[in-house]
Amino acid sequence: MCLILVLVFYLGCSGKHSAPETSPTVRDVTDDAGRRVVLPLRIDRVISLAPNLTEITFAIGAGDRLVGRTSYCNFPSEAKTVAEVGDTLHPNLERIIALRPQLVLISTASQLEVFTHQLESQNIPVFVTDPHDLEGVFRSIDQLGTILGQGNQAKQLVDHLRARTAAVAEALKQTRPVTVFYQLSAEPLYTAGHDAFVTDLIRRAGGRSVTAEVPGAWPKYSAESALAARPEAIVLPTGGSMGEGNSAVAEALQRSPAAIQGKVYKINDDLLVRPGPRAIDGLEEMARALHPDAFKQ
Amino acid sequence: MTVIESHRNRSRTVYAASYNRTTLRKTLIACAVLTGALLLTVIMMSLVGSEHLPASASLCALFSFGRSQCALTTDQFDILFQIRLPRILLAAAVGGSLATAGASYQALLRNPLAEPYLLGISNGAAVGTMVALVFFGGNEWSRPLLAFVGALLATLAVYRLARGRAGATPERLVLAGVIVTTFLSSVIVFVTTLMDATRIRSFTFWLLGDLSGTSKNLLPVAIAIAIVGTVVLAANARSLNLLMLGERDAFDLGVEVGKVRIVVFVVASLLVGSSVAASGSVGYVGLVVPHLARLSLGSDNRLSIPAAALGGAVFVIVADTVARTMIAPRELPVGAITALIGAPLFIYLLKRT
Repeated sequence: MCLILVLVFYLGCSGKHSAPETSPTVRDVTDDAGRRVVLPLRIDRVISLAPNLTEITFAIGAGDRLVGRTSYCNFPSEAKTVAEVGDTLHPNLERIIALRPQLVLISTASQLEVFTHQLESQNIPVFVTDPHDLEGVFRSIDQLGTILGQGNQAKQLVDHLRARTAAVAEALKQTRPVTVFYQLSAEPLYTAGHDAFVTDLIRRAGGRSVTAEVPGAWPKYSAESALAARPEAIVLPTGGSMGEGNSAVAEALQRSPAAIQGKVYKINDDLLVRPGPRAIDGLEEMARALHPDAFKQ
Repeated sequence: MTVIESHRNRSRTVYAASYNRTTLRKTLIACAVLTGALLLTVIMMSLVGSEHLPASASLCALFSFGRSQCALTTDQFDILFQIRLPRILLAAAVGGSLATAGASYQALLRNPLAEPYLLGISNGAAVGTMVALVFFGGNEWSRPLLAFVGALLATLAVYRLARGRAGATPERLVLAGVIVTTFLSSVIVFVTTLMDATRIRSFTFWLLGDLSGTSKNLLPVAIAIAIVGTVVLAANARSLNLLMLGERDAFDLGVEVGKVRIVVFVVASLLVGSSVAASGSVGYVGLVVPHLARLSLGSDNRLSIPAAALGGAVFVIVADTVARTMIAPRELPVGAITALIGAPLFIYLLKRT
């Protein structure tokens, strides 16, 4: 008797489970971390935890659906009217939950992967992007276009950015790559390593980063190796979110060919380190700096 | 003449008699051997780095004191004399300063665990340096000065916290050090959170101890402070020896306890301040080296303070060579290397006391 009761109860339960099989209101997407993310069909409330993703969201015409951003998300100027949820190092979980997002966007460029788990445990879908190069930027734009239902705008944007990238490549066709030292900070000496997004940007701008093969994204670099590398040009990312701090060449590089010939170029760091649409501005600026003759009309 | 006075005078005579020539000779021999070891270390470690330099040409240039380029290219010569050698000399100054400070604290506080880093004195100097960076960013002289002030304030705070009714027991002192260290760490975290991104990056690396940012102006200052500080503290070694018997006994034996305490606090703070301003918090040097010196040479401070200074210089030069070559051309913070060696030794000493 008991057994029958249990059996009936069990069947009843499993019957209830299979009940809500109606028309799909959700969809599956796969992010750059290889995670399957279940999203509602229409997303009206998005939080971006990376400046590059905020820029992409605005650039594909979905900026009005952004309900939260980090304190580093300073572009475009409309972004500043969106609520802040902390900086990229310390996002505020409570504030994110209070904003009731349907989706939170994370970029590995902001090193917030750990935060993904905290958001997931609150049943907030998280989409992770992992751009390492310009192709990765184009992919991120495509992905966000699909997710936010802005596919056409995203495609137009990517086509436009690809055309500009191709124009730079065309202009540089006859040039010889210039060796570049990317000085993230002078003291201590930090540079861009193999995994840094800007390393690809330097290559496309007709440069060859002397630290392109160093493991990691932002390694602390040996001063004597920097001196021995004798770079022909030095790029100083400064004047953007990093402030004005990094505007002098490190002591070890002061007698490099770059410093002696005045080939030291200050470029807004936001254009060089953010894998977003403005990276193409950074690419063009850097290419013109490294190869001024190639762009003379 | 009272009984106490006659007792004091007799003790002085007894002590003076024990200060014989054997001690002096032993000190001179140990210092000569260690100075030789230091010179050898400086030369050997100058030949190692992320860039390969031809050894014989480098030695030739080193022994000409930089007057001849020998067979080195200009770049190689610059690497050797502009980057590698200044960094090694800074490592020596930092190591010597921290080890001397550690040895003196241990004698004065009669506590084998007294160490600038563990007592929070390095953190005090770090907060001072941070204040200098935030408010007087352009002026590099403000860094060692405020680091000294920070170290001195932290020393006084720990000392006051540690002194209970029963005096400063080793446990109480370490506890006071933990309190001051954690409090100052939160101050550091608080301020770094408010700083902009570039400064955070350089500051967090610096906090772990980093010798790569050798300032041409501050290097001679750091070396001068290391030498003068060691000489002053070694000159007080006799008083420190008597203080190891206990403050009351030392007083009875004619030691001006208050004056010695002030000298040690001020000079050791100066040593720690100049090290931290130049290289951040390099931990455990003040613990490892004085203990090794005492284990091998005995606990006479006239011997162990100069020995610790020279040994500390060797220790940090070697640790920094590991830090700059292990994953070359990338670099590790030297504090990570000294802590990897120092922490296990600290545990061992804690179990013994």
